[in-house]
Amino acid sequence: MTRSAAGYWIGFAVVLALLVVAPLVLPEFWRRFVTEILIWGLLAMSLDLLIGYTGMVSFGHSAFFGLGMYGAAAALLTVRPPNLWLAILYGLVGAGAVAVFVAYFSTRLRDIYFAITTLVFSQIFYVIIFTWTEVTGGENGLGFSQPAFAIPGVVSARFTPVTLHWFVLAVVTVSYLGLRRITQSPFGMVLQSIRENEPRTRAIGYHVERYKIVAVMLSGLFAGLAGVLYALQNKFAAPDFVFFLVSGEVVVFNVMGGMGTLVGPVAGAAFFFLLRELFSRFFTEYYLIPVGIIFTLMVIFVPQGLLGFLRRRLNQ
Amino acid sequence: MAERWQGEPWAKDIWCSGKTTRRRFLGLSAATAGALGATMLVPAPWREAFGQAKPYKIGIMQPLTGVAAAGGKTALVGSMMAVDRINKAGGVNGRPLEAVIADYESKPDVGRRKVEKLLVEDKVDVAEGGYLSNVCLACMPVFDEHRTVFMVGVCLDTTITTTKCSRYVFRPFDYAPAQAVAFAHYLVNKMGKKWHIAYLDYAWGQSTRDAYVEQIKKLGGEVVGGTGIPLGTADMTPFLSKVSGNFDGFFGIFFGANAVVLATQAYDLGLTRKYKFAGDGAIAESTHLPALGHKIEGFVGINRYVPVLDPPLNTPHHRKFFDEAVAALKKIDPSGPLPDRYVQSNFEAMNFLKLGMQRSGFRGRDDTMKLIEALEGMDVKESDDFPQGDKTLRKEDHQAFLREFIFEIKDNKHRLVEVIPKEKTVVPPACTFSKA
Repeated sequence: MTRSAAGYWIGFAVVLALLVVAPLVLPEFWRRFVTEILIWGLLAMSLDLLIGYTGMVSFGHSAFFGLGMYGAAAALLTVRPPNLWLAILYGLVGAGAVAVFVAYFSTRLRDIYFAITTLVFSQIFYVIIFTWTEVTGGENGLGFSQPAFAIPGVVSARFTPVTLHWFVLAVVTVSYLGLRRITQSPFGMVLQSIRENEPRTRAIGYHVERYKIVAVMLSGLFAGLAGVLYALQNKFAAPDFVFFLVSGEVVVFNVMGGMGTLVGPVAGAAFFFLLRELFSRFFTEYYLIPVGIIFTLMVIFVPQGLLGFLRRRLNQ
Repeated sequence: MAERWQGEPWAKDIWCSGKTTRRRFLGLSAATAGALGATMLVPAPWREAFGQAKPYKIGIMQPLTGVAAAGGKTALVGSMMAVDRINKAGGVNGRPLEAVIADYESKPDVGRRKVEKLLVEDKVDVAEGGYLSNVCLACMPVFDEHRTVFMVGVCLDTTITTTKCSRYVFRPFDYAPAQAVAFAHYLVNKMGKKWHIAYLDYAWGQSTRDAYVEQIKKLGGEVVGGTGIPLGTADMTPFLSKVSGNFDGFFGIFFGANAVVLATQAYDLGLTRKYKFAGDGAIAESTHLPALGHKIEGFVGINRYVPVLDPPLNTPHHRKFFDEAVAALKKIDPSGPLPDRYVQSNFEAMNFLKLGMQRSGFRGRDDTMKLIEALEGMDVKESDDFPQGDKTLRKEDHQAFLREFIFEIKDNKHRLVEVIPKEKTVVPPACTFSKA
């Protein structure tokens, strides 16, 4: 193991340990807050696979996130007793199916055209969910109860805020390691090659469209998984999460944290949520103004994001 | 007299004896600042012991930014009017009210997080507000979990007090089924038997449409058609141009900017001249009238609150509320809009809380069940606290019943046509409280 790799794994273990201990020492509100940041971090990380590694800006991630939520809701409302694993399965199937559909049509396009197509698809799903009240609950969404954590024959226990945090942390950690493996695999290298020079990647024999479709599908699956976790934590699914503005926020997390780093978007989500929470305590309805100013300053002075900036400083 | 202190021995000692050194002056200043700081930071039990009562913390959640910001700010005016009035009158049970305001950005996820903060960090004793039904519904489980009373200020969705009702949530104003019961008689017997309903095609519009269809049919009328229009549609002409046929009245279920678009375009297409035009009172809120001008003339609507001072709303209670609300609204909107139902319902929601806290001897969240029991079945009379009129907060579903006003727009002003007493707006409860 090289020195930098050892340093990375030591840092990873320290952060993981801190996140494991966090719910035991933090007050109730902040405990839930950290769990929520992890969930939004996973969503941001899933988008990073497209923006940071493939060079495709997607505004359709709200659709994958929302469909993950509604998939989980479907399982939790139709299956008795509510089953955690079925909720995850339904959520992944829902998000995956939408991702295949969106990927098939949108990956034929590039740059701004790809971004607009994904935005249009997310709006189509939003309108369907918003108006199909009998099935989706319409504007009001769906409420449901939280399933127990159950492994047949081994354990069955209701989630507490602490155990739910650990469950979310475990899922996010495994997802991160999975995404990291993907981005470092030959497949991930091709994605980065598409980002750097798509015509050349095509010229050396790669079927670029297929790679892009798989990238969108994988990204959609992880976004759907984040949606499932959000549904589990908050016990409701609402059409607002399918609205394209959610995708916009996730793009902001990526820009703030640092694209193409996987961990950066999680840091970006944490930074954004903390800013919003702290400023809202002092400025009530005007708090988005200082948040906006900070974001603008970051884009100007730290365009590589928090993690990119940190990495550059460490390399100096 | 004012200068004589300089002759006093203590003043001479400080200023005239040559003993005032810079060190001594700084020391005295520090001591004064310390004393002031200590007074400000003195712990709550000491404050209480010396006669300053610990305030009740009232969490107020409203959308002050985002798509519903305009309505949320208006609604907040009603809540704050009540809080100020209660505090000027000596508070509740001798304790003042302290409003802790949370802006939920018109988003359910933010709403849920803000409610968590109000309940866990700010430790509010009760909560009030709402506005957007989807946010109210998303937050209701949090109030259940923390066993805290939430007095809804605006959220209109029927399910809040029916299928999704909660022991901790109260709605001190009307809902669509009650309005439909109150209005259907007038529609069928005085305006026409056959109706076409245009509605906002989402949960609220659809559930309100269903309530009117049921009541119109029950009274021998007929709904011959329906047109659902998506929320936020800027041009409704493609939808409205298809509305034609043999019917007497065109009924609209819209609010906000959508209502203005509907009334304008329905007029332009000749619909509101060919057919009688009626609908939810939100179409002709006082804030819409300047924009609609003559295009809303003759519209007949129903609302729990109409900003007029005609009988029976010519009471001193209503006049007082009206004048105070106009002054308060002018502070946030210099055009000086008249109060609407959002100001009224939030004002009265806060007063319901006050009355419940007084009657139950509520001291804090530990007394939540006592507060709930005091609020359940509470009857209130028309007064300064309830300028809209008498009300009953039904025990079975925590839904209030109150009188409704049928009005017509004449010369761009509201004119009361009929007042439906609260007893004639009652619909059977459809709620089963969870035992957990």
